[in-house]
Amino acid sequence: MFKHLSTSLILGFLFLAPLASADPLSPADLKSLLARIREKRAAAPQVQADFQEEKNVRMLNKPIVSSGKIWFQSPNRFRREAKGNAPSLTVSDGQQLWIYYPNFKSAEHYSLGKRSPLDAGIAAITASLNLENVEAIYHITGAKESDGYLLQLAPRNPSMKRLLQTFSIKMNNELQVVRTEMVQPNGDRIATTYSNETRAPIPASTFEFTPPAGTDVTTPLGR
Amino acid sequence: MPFHSFIAKLVTQRRAAVWWAVALISAASIYVLVTRMKLDTEVLNLLPTGFESVEGLKVYNRDFSQVRELTFALVSQPEDVDKLEEFAPQFAQRLREQPWCTRVLAGAPIETPEGIRDLQSIAVPLLLNLEPAAFNETLALLEPQKIRERLQRLHQELEAGSPRPQIELGLDPLGVIGPALKPFAGNAAMEEDQPLTSPDRTMRVFLTVTNQASLSAFDCQKLMREVKAFQQSAHEGWDGGPLQILVTGRSAYVAEISLSMRHDIVITLLGSIVLVGAVFYIGFHRWLPLLGMGFSLLLCCLVALAAGLLIFHELNMVTVGFCAILIGLGVDFAILVFGRYQQARDEGSDHTAAVSEAVLTLGKAIFFGALTTAVGFMALLLAGSRGFTQLGVLIALGISFAGIFMLTVFFLVLPRKASTPRRDWMFDLVKKYVRWTVRRPGPMLWISIPLLLLLTAIALSPRPPIIFDVSTHSMEPKRSDAGYALKTIMEKMPARWEPVIGMVQAKDPQQLHDYWQKIAAHWTEVQAAGKIKGFSTPAALALSPARLQTNRERLRSANLSAARDALEAAIAAEGFSRETFDSAFTLLEQLQGAAYPSVQLPDWRTQLPPASSWWFLVDRYFAHDPLLATGFVTTNEPVATQEQKEMLHRELPVAGIPMVLSGWSFTLTDLVPWSQRQLILISALMAIFDVTLLAVLYRDWRLWLIQVATLAMAVCAMIASMKVLQIPLNLLNVLAFRLVLAIGVDYGIYVLLVWQKARQLDHDVAGVVKPVILAGLTAICGFGSLGAANNPTLAGLGYACALGLFWSLAATIFFTLPAAAAAEPKSWREESLQPRVKEPENV
Repeated sequence: MFKHLSTSLILGFLFLAPLASADPLSPADLKSLLARIREKRAAAPQVQADFQEEKNVRMLNKPIVSSGKIWFQSPNRFRREAKGNAPSLTVSDGQQLWIYYPNFKSAEHYSLGKRSPLDAGIAAITASLNLENVEAIYHITGAKESDGYLLQLAPRNPSMKRLLQTFSIKMNNELQVVRTEMVQPNGDRIATTYSNETRAPIPASTFEFTPPAGTDVTTPLGR
Repeated sequence: MPFHSFIAKLVTQRRAAVWWAVALISAASIYVLVTRMKLDTEVLNLLPTGFESVEGLKVYNRDFSQVRELTFALVSQPEDVDKLEEFAPQFAQRLREQPWCTRVLAGAPIETPEGIRDLQSIAVPLLLNLEPAAFNETLALLEPQKIRERLQRLHQELEAGSPRPQIELGLDPLGVIGPALKPFAGNAAMEEDQPLTSPDRTMRVFLTVTNQASLSAFDCQKLMREVKAFQQSAHEGWDGGPLQILVTGRSAYVAEISLSMRHDIVITLLGSIVLVGAVFYIGFHRWLPLLGMGFSLLLCCLVALAAGLLIFHELNMVTVGFCAILIGLGVDFAILVFGRYQQARDEGSDHTAAVSEAVLTLGKAIFFGALTTAVGFMALLLAGSRGFTQLGVLIALGISFAGIFMLTVFFLVLPRKASTPRRDWMFDLVKKYVRWTVRRPGPMLWISIPLLLLLTAIALSPRPPIIFDVSTHSMEPKRSDAGYALKTIMEKMPARWEPVIGMVQAKDPQQLHDYWQKIAAHWTEVQAAGKIKGFSTPAALALSPARLQTNRERLRSANLSAARDALEAAIAAEGFSRETFDSAFTLLEQLQGAAYPSVQLPDWRTQLPPASSWWFLVDRYFAHDPLLATGFVTTNEPVATQEQKEMLHRELPVAGIPMVLSGWSFTLTDLVPWSQRQLILISALMAIFDVTLLAVLYRDWRLWLIQVATLAMAVCAMIASMKVLQIPLNLLNVLAFRLVLAIGVDYGIYVLLVWQKARQLDHDVAGVVKPVILAGLTAICGFGSLGAANNPTLAGLGYACALGLFWSLAATIFFTLPAAAAAEPKSWREESLQPRVKEPENV
């Protein structure tokens, strides 16, 4: 029921990249590029950056624009803080996912790894940020652009296909992710740009969350 | 004129008249069979009547659509799980296209747009069926302020990336369907209750409802032929490794069991004929009597079947199959009669005199043999099962006809001219044994008594225990595709064991609603106490007219126009697209309509399209008669013990609500005491009959005691052998004890009656012991051939009977005979062995 819905969770981490003229990468070059990315990620498995996100959702007439900061630690821990009029906090330690709404003093709790539809969404996020084992999940093509690289990812397995139609990652020459764009099968589109990336160590507590007293906690997927 | 002379004269001098009589009886029987043959293919009719669980199963099979369900499973290799996921929708579509398929469930209905649309179409009655307090709370959600707050919250959640708003707006844009579905929460979602994908993703399950005309064996076979053809072509489009396409369900089982039964009948009948023929030929070296015997047995079957049809108007297919037993039993009479007849011919008697001698010597024994066997089978009337009643009466009739025909019709086929006597090595051997054992019974008794006592001790000892198998598996054919499919599904989805069903029939919709409310509340307590794992009931779908009325009145006071305006405004304010809320506006209109008492509420059953997956849920709970509904209880473990069954019987019913508990495992467990009663009580009654009959028959307490001891030890030896060989008892082969008592006692009767009248012991007794051995061997072969049956219960019956008859025969030869000799003074025995008539050379 919920499989096609969880994508929006992913969208905050990805951003749109315009497909400018570019030289396609040969399979060997692509393999080499992915190896370089993995090497870099392995040396510094954590990353934090500011983000700006634009969501075009069918349910809404206007795009939603939000900004904030994300923290990511390989392989699957992350934290996302959205600021502005509708602040929210999303935290995952790889097993649990919390979304907290300070304005409403309410939180949603999801368990991951139980074949929940969310798992595919989280796998999409972590694979793209991590780029580990990414060939197993996506068909990948790449291109060299004047200011970096553009990777085009198409999901291989059906559960991911239900969630994601195309996924592109724009990197600069230092192999930092600067833009991602995700298009969903229902036409929803989420573009995210990242800035001020740093790879300083992140305390483990960043990926932990305990709802403040008085928070109304719900489990929308019932597990 | 003495009876034996009358018979001899009739079959030798009035042959044409007897042949005419045979032709007349045959023609009448064939006429009855052709004009009245009606087969009852309902397997459940083999189970005893008077059991609530059995009756419940019959009602469930007859009145609920779910019995027309077939479950398909696709099983792939672990490396192909993604391909399987992609292939599954194609397979489901192909299933939908099959002419025998009414609908398919390939995933939870709520996961599909059609499923959501169908659910929205029945939202109004579900909403109006809420408890008044819950309905008021739900109605409060339509206040303008609440609508604004809700859309504002959803917008913010959408911004945060939560999956919830998309879930909620997709299913329930107005926010009132969720509360209407709350009563289902206790029932668990179908996907959770019956997962359709295995945890390792290597198996996908598809439920289908078929449109087969009836649940009869023939319709099930027809359906399964089409399904098999579909299975052959259903791999099309699959490009992975090996893919198994499995299918199971009631129709699959019925088709397999009925086909395997036909196979069993043919195989065991052919096996019996070949084995019996071989034993007969080895014993007598003649073909014509063998044909005569076959003809007489055929006539017995024909007349018995015709009589059975006239009595019962229809015959259970299983019962007809069991007629094979009749052949095994009737053969005994033929062998005995022919053995004595041939002995007389070999001694120089002419045809008429030999017939007369055979009837004189064995007429009484055959009469009592037929009587004990007939009574043994008539005892099946006490089982209370329609199938077994038919079986008992049919075989009792058949064995009586066999007694009559073997003493009359059989002689018509025998050659009137004597053939050249040949040396009979078997008779010589038996005669030597009889002579030795009569002279010196001690050595034989020293061997047989300790052995039989040892086996008796094993039988009475609690260890090793006798295995009693009442699982549903014990009823499946040995090579069952449906059984394999079910086993595979159960292994990959351990949560899918068969639930216990609780059926309730109400007088009107209000009563149905009230009953299920109470049951759901009670079962919640039982679950909270940890006595059951879970349950699901039709409570949410059992609409209450009283509640609907109350809630409609309340609805009239709600300002639904204001709600509509508020929704329009909130959509605009939050920037939502209006089409997302189309179904919300439709629902508001329907609610406005429902507020007027003059508006007839549509029946939700007519609102759901026939192909809707939600019917799987509805049909699961409701019979064709919507006032008959069932709930399902998942037990903590599969039901297998009396303690579990008793606990469920104690805990599940609700005072004042007539509820029938059933389900296959539950019923089979429920039948264990019945089966044990069959084993103990009816076998004991049979034994009492036997010992009384023997007392009247022998009028000699020593022979009576010997025969009773023989019977007791033979049955104990049979139990001991079953224990040692680990042959399980099941619901069917408990019959074996009665059969063994009925047939086994005959061997002793034949031998001891001749013993009492013998003019020269070794000659006369050997004259009957040889046919008894041959008859015993044929019966053992006949029953042993049932071991080749595909049906384990039938095979089990065959093994048990073969073992029991083996020990009856062995005990008669090696214990009864020497014991009878030992009971007489040595001088009497020596005297009895002296020839009183001249003995021919070639006997």
